[in-house]
Amino acid sequence: MKTDVLIIGGGPAGLSAAIETASRGLDVTIVDEASQLGGQLNQQTQVMRQLPSVYEPMRGFELANKLIELIKDCNVRQLLNHRVVGFYADGSVGITDEENVFPVKAKKIIVASGAAEKAVAFPKWTMPGIMTIGAAQTLINRDFVMPGREAVIVGSSDFAMETAIQLMDVGIRVKAIIEKQSGALAKEQEKVSELSRSGIPFYFNSFIKEARGNGQVEQIDVALPDEVITLNVDLVCMDGGRAPILDVFYQLGCSFGFQEELGGWVPQYNNRFQTDREDVFIAGNAAGITTQGPLLLTGMIAGISASEELQAISPAEANEMREALWKELGLLEYREVYSGRVKHLENFASPVLKDQFIS
Amino acid sequence: MHIEKHPVLGRKLHTPVTIYFNDQPYQAYTQQSVAAALMANGIKKLGVSRKLVQSRGLFCSRGRCCSCYMTIDGEDHVRSCMTEVEDGMRIYPNMDDPEVRREIDED
Repeated sequence: MKTDVLIIGGGPAGLSAAIETASRGLDVTIVDEASQLGGQLNQQTQVMRQLPSVYEPMRGFELANKLIELIKDCNVRQLLNHRVVGFYADGSVGITDEENVFPVKAKKIIVASGAAEKAVAFPKWTMPGIMTIGAAQTLINRDFVMPGREAVIVGSSDFAMETAIQLMDVGIRVKAIIEKQSGALAKEQEKVSELSRSGIPFYFNSFIKEARGNGQVEQIDVALPDEVITLNVDLVCMDGGRAPILDVFYQLGCSFGFQEELGGWVPQYNNRFQTDREDVFIAGNAAGITTQGPLLLTGMIAGISASEELQAISPAEANEMREALWKELGLLEYREVYSGRVKHLENFASPVLKDQFIS
Repeated sequence: MHIEKHPVLGRKLHTPVTIYFNDQPYQAYTQQSVAAALMANGIKKLGVSRKLVQSRGLFCSRGRCCSCYMTIDGEDHVRSCMTEVEDGMRIYPNMDDPEVRREIDED
């Protein structure tokens, strides 16, 4: 199979990159291992207000539907339930449908592989009933299944607070929010107040000491600053933060830089969202963990840059659009994330050996 | 338990199917993942770890952690969070490593 642009990952960033490339007449293929496009947007029921100006505020799954509708208008080839597993010597991408592997020759590749949730380890953390907050959210909003009746949340990020509220809305009793720092980490403090008002205790400077249960979690010990308490729960949702998914970049031989504010090791890229492999672009959480609006913007920039290299858009026009999108990115993105991103770009432009990792 | 009426999304479970876990029938709905459908029926333990034989269940629901491996319709080590239920599906827990070595010249 041959295509102009192969987009790896059909979440918000991949879809917005697809819109930018396919709407300019390029032959675009999206590959995603899920059976449905939209990525993690599909189980986001909260309203997203900080979206790029072309989008009205809407709920996450509505945004997914909107993006999917937009790519339908421009005939994008979709390889759902397919995974990228490697690369051939001639640069073709090896894609599997879980039975066979076939090569796809792409002129440009845009990798929007997203982020993975990290675990919070404690004795017996691998027991059934203990899961990431993203998993719990997927269960209630996509699978329509109750993951438990009595829960605790480990962590207090915006994502954790939002999920705690959604769990309560479907009737799960949230018994406590456990945070090892001395205060709630969420930037949207209203959600923290909403949870406090509904009587949920926040245990700060605290952590789970141990989980117990026969085949699944039934009880946890929580170490508070001055005592250890025991809670009966059948669900523990943990938020260990997220990190970019890098597998494909390793296989492509891209260089990496460490940027704490972007989530750790991140492939290096320039202001065109182009990696050190000139035919490979990057978008979304893979380019640094951020919020929904900026995810779309990075996809748009990557899509415009790939279109420019394939002569589907003039360099002058591309520059103008990129500049406007970067400006919007600066407005929508949390300040420390944006400044981390700017630093990441600078490190790539003028490399200092100790900040880089070349696989 | 299935969520019959979701506070934001309303009623979304329309097409019931029957799946079999350890040869026992359970009700699920199309578009649910195998791991989720089992959880709705109170089954959280999907297998055991290979070395210390400890219980394992759904952890990331994204297909990355591989904690939810099961044997589905005769195929071992299938990620049950990334597989949608089908009517009549036969599901068994992942109790040990699958047999990957085969006689290739048995004729």
